[in-house]
Amino acid sequence: MHHIYCPYCEEMREEEEYSYTGEAHIERPKDPAAISDEAWADYIFFRSNPRGIHHEMWYHAAGCRRYFNATRDTQSYKVHETYKMGEMPTITAATVAANQVAKGDAS
Amino acid sequence: MTNVDTSTSMESPLHHRVAHTNAANAGVVMKEDKFRGQLNLRGNPQDAAFTSAVEKVLGVALPMAPSSSVRNGDTVVYWLCPNEWLLIVASGTQGQVEADLRSAMDGQHIAVTDISSGQTLVNLSGTGVAELMQKSTVYDCHDSNFPVGKVVQTTFAKTGTTMCKLEDGSYDLVIRRSFSDYFFLWLQDASDEYGLSVS
Ligand SMILES: [Zn+2]
Repeated sequence: MHHIYCPYCEEMREEEEYSYTGEAHIERPKDPAAISDEAWADYIFFRSNPRGIHHEMWYHAAGCRRYFNATRDTQSYKVHETYKMGEMPTITAATVAANQVAKGDAS
Repeated sequence: MTNVDTSTSMESPLHHRVAHTNAANAGVVMKEDKFRGQLNLRGNPQDAAFTSAVEKVLGVALPMAPSSSVRNGDTVVYWLCPNEWLLIVASGTQGQVEADLRSAMDGQHIAVTDISSGQTLVNLSGTGVAELMQKSTVYDCHDSNFPVGKVVQTTFAKTGTTMCKLEDGSYDLVIRRSFSDYFFLWLQDASDEYGLSVS
């Protein structure tokens, strides 16, 4: 039992209703013809795949059928926050690191 | 105008599921509300021209709060997402309602889709229905979490449903036609201990 908050349904729902759909905040190049093959390949194929904080898209497949964003820890699977499309995360790898330093448990 | 020809015989998705052997003192009662008109409506909730046009045709304002619904006689409106609603209307009137909506919203950026033939409305009631739902869906259907009038799209066994709790404690479930047989077989199995009556 793992509940994730849907920012459109505005409540916690069972993970079974959702599907993960990849890294978030990847912007399509405005003028694809003007960029190098390397930059285009980077946009199409390459993802950051971090260990720790990751911003990713989720799809409320069995619910409202909207896409939204989530900040998830890929190591612990903890979902720190979810937010609507077009919004930016409030929790990032930088804020988590700063918190750890403040608490004195940097490792 | 109507898009239902009543001279031909129609079969509802669950038409062949008419009787069940374990029906004495059944704790679960299934009733298919056959051939209700179902329209999917999309539009911008911030656009007053859109919301007022819909209200004029349906006689009720669109529900804007997540998971809410409104009723006006035979017309039921379910919130599906911030810009999408399910309209359930009297059988055979969907063509007229669609035409009225289109003329009221002429020129607007909207979508009205008749999905009546793709899904069906089923009512589940009885003393065993609360336990049946606990077995069948991942959603918490307790009154504190799922009060009367709330609409939730979730899973029912391994298929999907759009469900609403009614004042009498029964559940209205919209299920897909293509999954109706699966839905019934699951229902038959899950309600075995309570008894199932099909009315
Ligand atoms: Zn949702």
